[in-house]
Order: sequence, then C-alpha cells, then structure tokens
Amino acid sequence: MKEKIAKLIEEAKLAIEQSHTLAFINNVKVKYLGKSGELTGLLRGMKDLPQEERPLVGKYVNEARDIITQLTEEKTKELTQAEIDAKMLEEGVDITLDGKGEERGSLHPCTLVTNEVLDIFTSLGFTLGQGPEIEFDKFCFQMLNIPPDHPARDMQDTFYITDDILLRTHTSSMQTRTMINTKPPIRIVCPGKVYRPDDDATHSPMFQQIEGLVVDEKVTLCDLKGLLETFAQRLFDKKTKVRFRPSFFPFTEPSVEVDLTCSVCHGKGCRICKGTGWIEVLGAGVVNPKVLDNCGIDSKKYKGLAFGMGVERVAMIKYGIPDMRILFENDVRFLKEFK
Amino acid sequence: MKVSLSWLKDFVDIDVTVEKLADKLVSAGFEVEEIIDASANMKNVVLGKIAKLEKHPDADKLQICQIDVGAKDLVQIVTGAQNVAEGDLVPVALDNSLLPTGQVIKSGKLRGVPSNGMLCSGEELKLTEEEYAGAGVHGILIMNKEKYPLGTDMNVVLGNDDVVLDIGITANRSDCNSVLGIAREVATVLKKPLKMPEIYFETDQSIKVGDFVDVDVQDKTLCPRYMAGVVKDIKIESSPEIIQKRLKSVGLRSINNIVDVTNYVLIEIGQPMHAFDRNYLEGNKIIPRRAKNGEKIVALNEKEYELDDTMLVICDAKKPCAVAGVMGGLNSGINEKTNTIVFESAKFLRDNIRRTSRKLNLRSDSSYRYERGIDFDSQRLGIMRALTLIYKYGWGKIADGIIDRLAQDLKQNVVVTSVEEINGILGITVPSEIVLEILNSLQIESSIDKDGRLTCVCPAFRDDIENANDLAEEVIRLYGYDKVTSTLLKDGNQTLGGKNQQEQNIDIIKDICVSRGMSETLTYSFTTPKCFDILKLKEDDYRRNCVKLLKPLGEDLSIMRTTLAYSMISTLASNFLKSNKKAKLFEIANVYLPNNASVTELPTEVNMLALGRYGEGEDFFTMKGVVEIILKKFGIKAEYKRADITYLHKGRSADICVGNNVVGYLGEVHPEVAKSFDVSERMYIAEINVDMLNKLADYSYTFTAISNYPPIERDIAIVVDEDVMAGDLLACVRKGGGNLLVDTKIFDIYRNEQALGKGKKSVAISLVFRLADRTLTDDEVNAKINRILTKLSSEFSAVQR
Repeated sequence: MKEKIAKLIEEAKLAIEQSHTLAFINNVKVKYLGKSGELTGLLRGMKDLPQEERPLVGKYVNEARDIITQLTEEKTKELTQAEIDAKMLEEGVDITLDGKGEERGSLHPCTLVTNEVLDIFTSLGFTLGQGPEIEFDKFCFQMLNIPPDHPARDMQDTFYITDDILLRTHTSSMQTRTMINTKPPIRIVCPGKVYRPDDDATHSPMFQQIEGLVVDEKVTLCDLKGLLETFAQRLFDKKTKVRFRPSFFPFTEPSVEVDLTCSVCHGKGCRICKGTGWIEVLGAGVVNPKVLDNCGIDSKKYKGLAFGMGVERVAMIKYGIPDMRILFENDVRFLKEFK
Repeated sequence: MKVSLSWLKDFVDIDVTVEKLADKLVSAGFEVEEIIDASANMKNVVLGKIAKLEKHPDADKLQICQIDVGAKDLVQIVTGAQNVAEGDLVPVALDNSLLPTGQVIKSGKLRGVPSNGMLCSGEELKLTEEEYAGAGVHGILIMNKEKYPLGTDMNVVLGNDDVVLDIGITANRSDCNSVLGIAREVATVLKKPLKMPEIYFETDQSIKVGDFVDVDVQDKTLCPRYMAGVVKDIKIESSPEIIQKRLKSVGLRSINNIVDVTNYVLIEIGQPMHAFDRNYLEGNKIIPRRAKNGEKIVALNEKEYELDDTMLVICDAKKPCAVAGVMGGLNSGINEKTNTIVFESAKFLRDNIRRTSRKLNLRSDSSYRYERGIDFDSQRLGIMRALTLIYKYGWGKIADGIIDRLAQDLKQNVVVTSVEEINGILGITVPSEIVLEILNSLQIESSIDKDGRLTCVCPAFRDDIENANDLAEEVIRLYGYDKVTSTLLKDGNQTLGGKNQQEQNIDIIKDICVSRGMSETLTYSFTTPKCFDILKLKEDDYRRNCVKLLKPLGEDLSIMRTTLAYSMISTLASNFLKSNKKAKLFEIANVYLPNNASVTELPTEVNMLALGRYGEGEDFFTMKGVVEIILKKFGIKAEYKRADITYLHKGRSADICVGNNVVGYLGEVHPEVAKSFDVSERMYIAEINVDMLNKLADYSYTFTAISNYPPIERDIAIVVDEDVMAGDLLACVRKGGGNLLVDTKIFDIYRNEQALGKGKKSVAISLVFRLADRTLTDDEVNAKINRILTKLSSEFSAVQR
C-alpha cells in the first residue's frame, strides 16, 4: 500500500509538472484530490484493509494529499501569474511613442533674459520702476541733463510724436519719474521697450532695455562695480569678470562702458568677442548730481548709481543669435527653441 | 575724429608704438575705432637708381639692370621694360616685397639670369598721373628728381608714411575734435610736455584792417565773439605738399592755399574759419544778424536755401554772405582772382547752429564742430594760426590789426571741492598728491588749501567740468579704472526688493499661456495705418484714432498700434505662409490710445494680452479654454456674449464680460480678413485687457468644507430651440437647483430633424446634488429636478425627452 501511494505521488508530481494551463492543472487536481479522485478512492478502499493497517495507510494518504495539494496550489499560482503576465503583454503599448496632452509652449528669449535679470536684482533689494513708452521730452532728455539741441542728442536719434512728446529712446526716463516720486533710498530696475530709428543686423527700431538705479547716502563707483560683478556672475557664470572703460553719458559722471569677460571663451579670445576676450554689455556710472537735483533729490546728501543694458544684445550673446532681426520674426520654430 | 600721427608729433613727442598709444587713449576715455596705416599696403619697395644697363644674353626684349639702392652692393634685376636708361630714378620692389596690388615679389631667374626684384610701374604702385607726374606712363615709373636718398622706402617718398588714428570723441569733449585737443590728451597720458602750435607773423603796417572791413555784431547772443583779419595781395596757388598730405590724411581734399588754410586750422585747432573774398563784401561791412524770414542764400554747394529769423547769417551791408557756422555763400567764395580776403574766426551759439543745420539739412565740418561747442580761447588761436601760415608761405600782405568783437567778459571756470568728496564718489582713496598731479597735468590748475579745500581753475577748453563728479572722472580715467575695487553697496541702506502683485500677474499669465502650449512673440509697437481697413474697423471705431510718428522709418511703421489683433493675425499668417502646420502664440504688450484731440497730453498706454492659435484640433473652445483658465486664476467670473467685431466670425466670437466691463474678446478670425492675409486655415484670436484684469482680480479665498455624504447624480435631456444658448440653460438649471445642486454640465447635444423637429436640439445635462451635513433623499432631489424642468420649460419652452 505504501508503495502504491508513493507511486501515486510520483504520478501526480509528473502530471503537475507537465501541466501548462490552468484547465489542465484543474483536471490533475480533480483526478487526485476530487471527490472521485484517486486519493479519495484509496480512503474509500480502507474499509477493506485490516484494522491495524488503517491508521498508517490513513496517515500515508493524508501526507500524499498534503503534498499533492501543495504542489497543485503552487502550480496553479504560477500558471495564474503567467496568464496575467501574458494578458498584460498582449495589451502592451509602444512605450517609445510620444506622451499625450498639450506640449509646453515657450517664453521669448528676451523675456527669459529679462526674467533672469529681474530675479537677480529683486533678490538684491530692487523693485521695478514704471513709466510710459510714449514720453515727454523732459523726462527722457531734459531732466537727464540733455537739453534741447545739445550735442548729446546725437547719441540717440529719436522718433518724435510732437515737438515735446516722443517715443522714449532709453529706459532712463523711468529713472527720472521714479526719482521725482520716491524718497531715497531707491533701488529700482526698469525693464521696457525703447525706440530709435535704426534698422540693421544689430539694431532694431524697437528694442528693450533694463535700467537700474540706486540712490542712497553712501554709494560709490566701487559699489557699482560690485553690483554689476554680482549680476554678471549670476547671469553668466561665477568666473565672469567686469571691466570699466571710461565713457560718456550726459546723466552719469563718471560714466563707464562695462565689459564682461566673454561668456564663450572666458577671456581667451574667440569669434564672439572678436578676439578681445571682452564683450561690451552695459553702460553705467555715478548719477550726475545735476540729474538728482533736477528730480528734487538733494545731491549734497545723496548719490546715485545707474546702469543699463540692451536685452536683445544680452539674449544674442547668451544664446549665440547672430542677427537681431530673428528676434522679431516670431517664427514658431525659432520661438520653440526656448523653454 | 581722424588725426595723423605726424601731425600729433608737431605738438608732443610720441615715443611709443601707435598700438600702445591707442591703448593708452582708450583707457583715458578716447575710443580708437581704427588705426589706418596706408603704408601697410606696400612693403620693401624703395627708391633706386639704375647704375648699369646691359642686354640679356638670351633674350632680346630683356635687360639686365644693376640698381643702386643706397647699399654697398648693387641689386641685379632683369626687366622687360624698354623706357629705362642708366641714371633713371625708379621704384624698386626688392626680394620679398609687397605691392599695393597685393602682388608679392621674390628673387628668381629670368632666362637663366638671376633677378632679385622688380622695377615698378605707376599702375603697380596704384598711382595715378594726378598723384604723381609720370605715373600714367606705360612702362616703369621714372621718378622725378627726389630729395630722398637712394634706398628710401617708397611710402616715405610718396607720402604714405603717416598713420591715422580714427578716434571716437564723446559729446562732452568737444575740445578734442582737433589735433591740438588730442595732442593735449596724448601729452597727459604719455606724461610729456605739450608744444603749442607755432604763432608768428608780421603785419604790413601800411595797411589797416579797418580800411577794409568793419564788424557790427547785431545778435550778440547767437554770436558772442567775432574776430576778423585781412590779407591783401593774395596769391592763390596750390598748397605745399605737407598741408595737402595732412588734409588728405584726414579725408579732406586740397582746394587752394586759402581754403586749405581754413581747413588746416579747423582740423588742427578745432576752430572753424571762413575766408570771404573782400571784393564781394559790399559796404565794407560784416554784420552777423538774424536772417529775415524768407531771405535766401546760395551756399558754396551751389544750392539755394531759404532762411528764417531763428538763423544767424553773416551779411555785408546788403546781403547774406554766409549761413553762420554752417556754410559760406557762393557769392563771396574764394576763386583764382581773389585779391583780398577777410578771415572769420567766430564763436556762434552751439544750439543755434545745430538747429539751423538740421532745419536746412545742411552739414559741414564747420557746423559739426560748432554744434559740439567751441570754447572762447579758440577764436584768437585760430586766426593767429591762419595768419602764421599765410606769413610763413608768403601768400599775401597781412593787414595790421585784428578785429575782436567779444560780447561778454571771459570768466574763469572754477570748481571748489575736496579730495574726500572725489574719493567719496570713487569709493577708493586716491592720494591728494596724485589727485593734484593728474588735474594739473590736464591744465586744470589745482591746489589744496590748509582747510583741505581743493580749488580747480579749469582752462577755457574744459567748459565741460562743472562739479566734483566731473573732477572725479578726470582723476579716475587717468588713475586707472582697474584700481576701482568691487564692493556690494556696503554702506547702503536696506531695501525690500521684489515684484508687486501687478508685475507678478504678468508672469502668471505668461506661465499659463506657456503651460497651454503657447509661445511668446515680440512684435513692433508701430504698425501700418492700413491695419484699420484690413481689420474692417468701423469709421467711428475708437481704435482708428492713433498716435502718429512725425518721421517714421516707413509708412508700414508709422503709427502706434491701438490693438494687438493686427499684429497677432499677421504673426499667425506669417507662420502659416512659412508652412508651419500649427502655431499657438501669445504676446503681452501695450496699445496706445490718444486722449481726445490733445497733443499736449500723453496717450493712455493699456497693457493687453493677445492670444492666437491655428492648426489641427483648434477651434473656438480650445481658445476659450485658455481664456477661462486665466480668468479663473484671477478669481474672475465672466459671461460670454455674442460679439459684433468686424474682423471676427459672427457666429464664432464672443465678448468677455465681467459685470458691466468688457475685458476682451475671443473668436475665429473673419474668413475675409484671413483671406486678405492669404491664410486658408481657420485662425482663432483673443485680446484681453490686462490692466482691467488687474483691477477686477479677486484674490480672496476662504475654505469650503468638503462633504462626506454621498452625492446623487441625475441626467436630464430636454428639447429646445436651436438658438437657445447653453450658458443660459445652465444658468437656469443652477437657479432651479439652488444650493443642493453642486455641479452641472452639458454632456451631449443631439440634433435630428425627424425625431425632434426642425430647428430643435436635444441637450443632455448632468446634475450632481449633495449636502454638506446629511445624506439627501430621492424625494428632495426629485423635487429639485421638477423645479428645474419647470423653470426650463417656462423660460425656454423646454420639453423633457
């Protein structure tokens, strides 16, 4: 009897092993463990055995049932898993296809630059200055120490609306307006559109500037350099150096052109910086005391620092755009290059 | 300002290379835009003499020359030219030489005979007959008798040996629009003494200025100083080579000795000079006065100009002879027959010359300098220098006396400050002795008294210096900007930075647009006046009233835009025409609306948002989705009302209304407008007043508890007339549902003429009912639904399906 049961276990093991579908393993289960299965049959046949053998055979049969039950359960689990897997693979998708939903649009490169510049200066305690694009001559020129028919007017050709009203040629007009309306200390940055009658690869009749102004009791040319160095290092990279070259603007004295080490070659000299290692990015200076006085700020008590940059020019440098006109073409293929 | 090195060397010893000099000038604030070296085109070409000439043994047409180039050995050159003879002076291109044609000459053999260079023709040296007599001859250029020794570089012989610096002069340094002015700066940066121009002449005591001319300045404001001198028995001839050469080096053509003298002084001293032919000055008078309105003058350029009473003219007793400071009159110009001249050396009001020059659209080297400003010292120096040149070259008899009409006393320009104040501006400590040294080297006489007061007496030519800041600039540009250190507002007061709500709102809108797949554009604020007709704007549309530029770059850019619609449609169209299959764009920019008819007021600038989309999948509702999400962000609830906008599709456009305000519109571009842009695709645009959004924005927000009780969801379907709007239906449903109804949506619209009847549609509406504090009963919901249906029925004759 023992041998018979052992043989049955072997048979069942083989059958389980060879089961490849859930239906098959079910059949195996029924065959051995079912109500009319082999093991049940053995138990039923126990009544024909001598009394003393019965407990032992019963034990063998129960052991066999446990073994076969465990094996069929394991197999069933395995096959069920395989079946789910197969079904999922059947439902599989090509995971290299594009994602769905609206793709992201883009900010104009000039906005990207403006945002960066404003972020840097607002973190340094600057707020934003305001002023109209169509402006009175006095705010754009006269109060900035550029009287009518002054030679400095030649520096900036101007679109006039009337003799007295014009399209602002620089964001400095926002300096004037802020100084008239605000008590020092003043720290403002003024982004905005400005207009000059030029139109070529490096000039556009409309372009954008960002102007900065600090008015405080104790500020110096060294502070201006530090401020612009901090700015340049955050806009480009930490190694960027700042160089002042003497220049002239009617509203600052001393006035400087501000060169930054070329962001492409880091000062070694390349095509972008025309081999000099430096790129002219800003104009700056100590506010001419006459301008402070014009705006009702006591120049004996306060000093000012001012700086300005062309947004398009910075964008061209930062992104290597060769021709300013591309910035105004608004070809969606160009715009989408920026994120 | 172009200035030649040799001319500069008249006034200062320059012992550094031109590149080094340029560097020093740049760091002192004078941008050297270009170094022009005319001699760079020709190298290693020298003056030689043919010492010996013999036939080539193997070639009939070749000759073997032995050339004396001033060296120990003769140079053997084989030439094919036949016009040379022993003893001729010729230009010799030696081994490894460069010709102006770009040709490089090297030693070689001609028919077996070594030839160590080439004899040059005038053409090979790019010389014309005008420039050098004999240069036009076919064959080798046979030089005239030359004062230069054999072996001299031909650049020297031909006068190409000068280097010209082109220097950008800033508007505050009008004193540097002259060789002398630059020389002063060069002397300072090189720490060399400045040699003033030579002034020496003798007058003919027998003739007096007063016998020839009197000056009566009638407008002393416009003409604060007028000096005049007279030269008689003038010999009109061409100028000596050095004057011609120098004028040529700065781009001026030599005319004759008298005109050249005026130009020479203009360039050298910076004082514009004018020479009148005395015979044409009627009544022995020179009268600077304002022109009469309508008065006319024919200028030296042979064009007639009509003047007005804002302009200064130089007249004789009867007529205008020159537009002061701008251009002389043709009538009194110098010609070959001129016998007596009157030299003018005057100061005219800077602003007035600028205005006149612009009004007449007439510019000259003279007006250029007057516009920038001429100091009170230059008139005397100018006329003395002119007379010195006349005397030096013996061109005429100088009358005794110089007329000087000076309208005001000359005042010294004194600035009092302190070294501390200067250092307070700079932020570094420049020692007092260095401050004094720098300022004095600029001829600013400076001293410090026992109280520490720094007193600076500025020379007349530095009338740009007015205060401590000006002096600080002088100090630092020569002390060196590299000595400025970096500090970060170290003694500054604390300020709070950041953007205000309105400024942040712009960023928020841009963010939403970008997340909705839209790209930001940048278009010009100016546009074409044709845009109004293209947009079919009604005659009385307020947007037709616009700001116009006086001198636009072109008709297409001549007005300031009053709407962003035209720019946006143009941009969509330009993308469509570039075969871009879709575009989703936005822009935030100002429009400019004039305030009534007044030209003394600034226009109102309104910040607008424009949206534009076309391409597959785009319709009215994709655009509306963007508009809705922006308004939602600002806490604004809008109503959409059918719009009547000339450039939009009548059935697919809406005004965006908030209370009584119309904050903008959206819709499909009118097919005819699209057609006028050659666009066959449907385009959708929107324009929203951002300033108004800012005003209407509601940032308040209070928490509402979410319900834990289950919702009851129901759907209803009703049949209504086609023209009933969904928005109106939903509003009615909400009213009927009261506070039990937490959500309602239209999820289907069905049309079927047979089933529903003509002009009818079936609208399916989902309803969600829920209470915060308890579970709703079916009865409560049914009651609400009945109420909703009743309302729909009475308001829209809706029938439940």
